[in-house]
Amino acid sequence: MIDGDPPGATATGDGGGPFADGALIAALATAIGGDHVRALGPRAWRVEPGAAGEVAEVVRLASEHRAVILPVGAGTRAPRLKGTGERARLHLALTRLDQVVHLDETSLLCHVQAGLTGSGLERVLSPRGLSIGDYPPTILSSTIGGLIAVRTPGKSSARHGFLEDAVVGVSAVLADGRTIHTRIAPRRATGPDLARALCGSEGTLGIITGAVLRVHHRPDSRLFAAFVLPSIDAALAATYLALREEAQPAGLRLVDAGDAASWYGEGVIAPGEALMIAATAGPTDLAACDRDLIASAVAAEGGRPADAGLAEQWWKRRFTPDSWPGPPPTFQVTATPARLRGAYHAICGAARAAGGEPRVHISRFDADGAVLFAAFCDEAGAPLAGAAAERVRDAAVAAARAAGGWLPGARSTALDPYLTALRAQLDPHGIMNPGALVA
Amino acid sequence: MAVDPDRVRKELEAILGPRRVSMRAADLDTYAQDMWPRPLFARREGLRPAPRGHAVVWPETVREVAAIVKAARGLGVPVIPYGGGSGVCGGVIPIHGGVTIDLKRMQALRAVRADELVCDVEGGLSGERFERELARRGFTFGHFPSSIYCSTVGGWLATRAAGQLSTKYGKVEDRVAGLTMVTGTGDVIDTDGPSRALGGPNWTQLLLGSEGTLGIITSARLRMAPAPQLRLYRGFEVDSVAAGIEAIRRVMQRGLRPAVVRLYDELDTFVNSLGGGHHEAEPEPDERGPAPLPGTGALPHLPEAPRAESADGRISRFLELGKRKVAGLRRELTSAALARPRLVNGVIGAIAEKVVRRGCRMVIGLEGARIRTEIEAALVYAELERAGARDTGEEPGRAWLAHRYAVSYRMSPVFRSGAFVDTMEVAASWAQLLDLYHSVREAIGRHAVVMAHFSHAYPDGCSIYFTFLGQADDRAGSERLYDAIWRDGLEATSRVGGTISHHHGVGLLKGPQMRSEHREAFAILAALKRALDPDDLMNPGKLGLAAPRWTGGRA
Repeated sequence: MIDGDPPGATATGDGGGPFADGALIAALATAIGGDHVRALGPRAWRVEPGAAGEVAEVVRLASEHRAVILPVGAGTRAPRLKGTGERARLHLALTRLDQVVHLDETSLLCHVQAGLTGSGLERVLSPRGLSIGDYPPTILSSTIGGLIAVRTPGKSSARHGFLEDAVVGVSAVLADGRTIHTRIAPRRATGPDLARALCGSEGTLGIITGAVLRVHHRPDSRLFAAFVLPSIDAALAATYLALREEAQPAGLRLVDAGDAASWYGEGVIAPGEALMIAATAGPTDLAACDRDLIASAVAAEGGRPADAGLAEQWWKRRFTPDSWPGPPPTFQVTATPARLRGAYHAICGAARAAGGEPRVHISRFDADGAVLFAAFCDEAGAPLAGAAAERVRDAAVAAARAAGGWLPGARSTALDPYLTALRAQLDPHGIMNPGALVA
Repeated sequence: MAVDPDRVRKELEAILGPRRVSMRAADLDTYAQDMWPRPLFARREGLRPAPRGHAVVWPETVREVAAIVKAARGLGVPVIPYGGGSGVCGGVIPIHGGVTIDLKRMQALRAVRADELVCDVEGGLSGERFERELARRGFTFGHFPSSIYCSTVGGWLATRAAGQLSTKYGKVEDRVAGLTMVTGTGDVIDTDGPSRALGGPNWTQLLLGSEGTLGIITSARLRMAPAPQLRLYRGFEVDSVAAGIEAIRRVMQRGLRPAVVRLYDELDTFVNSLGGGHHEAEPEPDERGPAPLPGTGALPHLPEAPRAESADGRISRFLELGKRKVAGLRRELTSAALARPRLVNGVIGAIAEKVVRRGCRMVIGLEGARIRTEIEAALVYAELERAGARDTGEEPGRAWLAHRYAVSYRMSPVFRSGAFVDTMEVAASWAQLLDLYHSVREAIGRHAVVMAHFSHAYPDGCSIYFTFLGQADDRAGSERLYDAIWRDGLEATSRVGGTISHHHGVGLLKGPQMRSEHREAFAILAALKRALDPDDLMNPGKLGLAAPRWTGGRA
């Protein structure tokens, strides 16, 4: 590893004090307007710059005064205060940066400011016959900047790939206040993809102020289908059979009997069976092809068609999560294609042994695998709470890990020394979200 | 720093034994070059153009690579990775000396996981052998660069290479599940995991394309695809480059993914129309046969290595234009004409437009699972025809498929004749693409005869592949001309918002333009460099990371 301490490791934590704060806050007020600097508590302010240039000014002032920058997005995630020490804290909200800067309908590229939410962007694109893509609607309540800066599983669809891969370029402010714009081109071979340093960096390497995203034409057709399979194992086998025939569903969900009962009603499938619900989209012939490929795969695994209305109902309800009848999932794990089956059975077994009835669905199939969501209920079908819920969850977590799954927030800590070194290079004073991405 | 050769040898032999360390002049010369044309001007005159390294080594394990890097660190000498030597940007030239690590003894295909569609492969494996091994098992990596016979998997990853079927399978960086790298500190790191789900930056994407400047890629987990069951290749033609671009854009933005999309500009179409090897009889392939058998499956992508008699194709045809159908062009294409490229570009362009009355040639290929590919093909053809493209049948597709690896073997007759030829691959969004085409064509056309084709299409843009042919009176003149072409071509690219490299990489050639390519974002690359290679010993001077002392053999 890097010899000795990273530069700047000992230079943090100075320059504070109430007097310095006064100068900092006055300077901030001058830079972005007093109305947009609001005290949150002792030595903590919420700052809301109104332009990318103002973000640069805020970061430059924070750097000068050694104040800490804690990015906050749409508020879906609380800032981590670890590592902020005695320093002044600036909770940086980009909510005012919520504009579409440019829509290039020739290249299907959309330049947006980081504070715009996914659903806000969708509202701009929709009347023009465009869409951000078939991503899970639940992620779209976050800001684009937050979605890009924080990597979590499931921001993907079989049809449009990973949201991260839809990012063609970013604009960002580095810790010294410099603004960068990565070059916009479909692909490049000019060294590492530098935009990827900022994607997932949670604001530690720079504050993303804008992004250029690939967008899509709305499909000619959307088709729906539902199937009953003899088991989850058969449903997984059918899924991978269809994916290998290159089916590209817009959405695909495998539901076990417990989950199906609470979400779609008792008697839709028998105990032990599994429900597969699918949506396909695109040019009509291709959407029909994808649906038929899935149907053939299901037949090959001993399944049968079910009421396609179940799938249509599911697709519509995705956009209004509040209308769901079932218990919301409290547990999720990502597993590779070959490990999904083992992870499913391990989690269900562990939950039952710990006194909880698992209700599981598997969705968000992509090149990495898929995400398994679970809720744990009592015998009456009510979600577990309190100590019982904790016990079952802990058992499920242990089982998922043992089965080779990745839990949310998992990181490859082996690379932490390099991340630390990179942070030290770009942020020698340690002002950029210091509590994030620390083991 | 003065380097003691005896000490270098002693330390390296302590790791590898005497047989896998060489300090012989013949080896040092061989490993001091790749396929970058510029040093050839000096070599053509019998000079030894490039600086040499201190040693060449052939490790067999990642541990040995790590030990070599640590030893080099102790000795204070650079480390340069070497794969197939097929690079065209001087990326392996040891400009500050050092130890060249040839990775070709690390060539195991260690695991092929059919259930995960992932394989684990060492960096030194040749592309041809890799693809043949996968095809034997019913898979493909989908990466078919024209250098596939002489490039390695590690080289592809280090340069963000692209294969000819990238429009379906993606560039190499789109198919990586994880990397193993020996960093500049001699430590071994793995980047595996669900890459888009793990917190923190995507290290795989931060190491891909680093061209040895951050570390040495020793193995990778790569995503395979099932071998295609069906392969459909056809020719189309359009009235103009602009019409062709529009047709491709519409196909890509409907969500359709042909494997191959190629559009040749008027001059390229013209040169191709002059014939020469495109029409020899070949057995009729059975497109509906079982998957990966030779003749129907993956292997037709790997025809036998081009034979000598077929190696006088496109480029030399370019030179011999005059002898062929258009007698009046003979004089223009002599050396004297190449010295007046503007005139030639104009004359040939005008003649090409008349001769190739039907406009620009396209090759469209689809492949994959049988049912979906058939349906997708029908949609692609319909979209092309709606955009004004005319179907010219299967023959152009078949001809392209049969001859697509030959081009790299056709360069030496040009150099022997005293001229030079090189290629420049740039890319931009659709909105900038035609501008990019005209700007670069004009910039290169001031100095050389230039033609272009469009390939590697995406929903948001496309790359352009310029081929240029120039000549000057002597070595100094050739070098000046060559440098001017690159400087003006890349400046024109940056000016209209394109990227200076789509898939050949940077090496030494494009280093001077890296600052204008990345602008302020270059700070991140510089920070990465210091974080992973604090002593600046990993392939120094490449990627524009430091001002190289050696600039290509200039006195």
